[in-house]
Amino acid sequence: MQLTRAPLAGLAVALVITLLAPPVRAQEQEIGAKESSYDVTAGSELATYADNDHVFVVSPSIAGSVSRPTAGWSFGANYLVDVVSAASVDIVSTASRRFVETRQAGGLNGAYQLGKLGLSANGNVSSEPDYGSYTGGAGATYDLFDKTFTALLAYYHGYDIAGRHDTPQNVWNHQINTDGLKLGGTIILDRATYLAIVGDLIFENGDTSKPYRYVPMFAPGTVVTRGESIASVNRDRLSARALEQLPTDRQRYAVSARLGHRFTWATLRMDERIYTDAWGLKATTTDARFIFTPVQRLEIGPHLRFHAQSAVDFWQRAYTMRTGLDFPALRTGDRELGPLTNITGGATARVLVGPQSDLRRWALGLDANITSTSYLDDLYISQRTSEVIALVVEMAL
Amino acid sequence: MLNQKLHAVIFVIFACVGASACTPVPPYQRGPLAHPTMKTADPAGVGEAHARAIQEGATGGGFEVGGGCGCN
Repeated sequence: MQLTRAPLAGLAVALVITLLAPPVRAQEQEIGAKESSYDVTAGSELATYADNDHVFVVSPSIAGSVSRPTAGWSFGANYLVDVVSAASVDIVSTASRRFVETRQAGGLNGAYQLGKLGLSANGNVSSEPDYGSYTGGAGATYDLFDKTFTALLAYYHGYDIAGRHDTPQNVWNHQINTDGLKLGGTIILDRATYLAIVGDLIFENGDTSKPYRYVPMFAPGTVVTRGESIASVNRDRLSARALEQLPTDRQRYAVSARLGHRFTWATLRMDERIYTDAWGLKATTTDARFIFTPVQRLEIGPHLRFHAQSAVDFWQRAYTMRTGLDFPALRTGDRELGPLTNITGGATARVLVGPQSDLRRWALGLDANITSTSYLDDLYISQRTSEVIALVVEMAL
Repeated sequence: MLNQKLHAVIFVIFACVGASACTPVPPYQRGPLAHPTMKTADPAGVGEAHARAIQEGATGGGFEVGGGCGCN
């Protein structure tokens, strides 16, 4: 019962915080101090995720911000709830039942512009029954060459604590520390084009192995085909199963570029990310969005995304075990650590319903994306189709 | 290895700065750059971003200043 009440209480608090802001703006207008007025925005999204592996997620979220552009500061908050219902093949393969779990996450952020220097900080908290995550970060931007180039430097630290739902955390837990460094910049190429480039260095320390994920073991020489069914795996595997065990350190590196170009009635955005890490996973991700305005109050456009990755060094479709309990030292059943490709196609639409003088004061949106994932070297499944559909409301109060 | 990668990132950034330094755009001509759809922040919504974080083994690439999502 508490799990049901807590998300509703959080949403209510966030809503109240957002709605408390308008009187401040009204007061400023009354004294005619337009140049010192506050900008208040609020938004809400209701997102759903579903896939053909029997996983369903509902995520309502709310966000709001208050800023005073002439003074250079802004402050924002967000809150979301994830309700996950899953009976995926990994759960069925371990003879477990469908589970329903709720996660809550919230964040605060603030920024201050001091001439050419921009400073910002944020903090995020996420909580679910067996996992807690706390992240704090700070960053700075600096305008150079008549604002033709804006340099970016940011750092964040994350602390996660993973537990088991059936064991008190003082008896069993894994603690994971993450340090992230971001270095990059945005370059104005011409009056309608920018290029942003950023490099990420992320250092994780701690055991991220899932405490519920069992890895089937096979005798040497056993032939196990890609996508082999649960029944076949259960027939061919050894009786001993090992819990997942991942390395306890991971260094991750990514270089990303984003190109934005504004045409007369449309915007093109293209992203490319190259990624590698100390576990041997290499990936490339390409993302493109084209948003055009066929009529004054409508913005609509397609979205395409392609992601391909190799497996981590210790990935095996079928781990083998010799006599006794001689498990491989490193082992995983996490498909997102194996070789895969994701192809996403989708569309976005925004209806601007504000007054003629300020069309964006109110906007209603729909984002829909379908992803086809091909697992290239996995047990149980070799393909998954998923969809994410989000209804969005954005408003400037 | 780390130093080589870091140097490569810095080289790319400064090469781009050098290439762009000769094409300054005065503020009064930056209207198209200020359009709301031209923000450098990730246009993906909360749900899409979360699904992406779970479905892809890679991470990084956000252009926002600050930390991670605080989620696992």
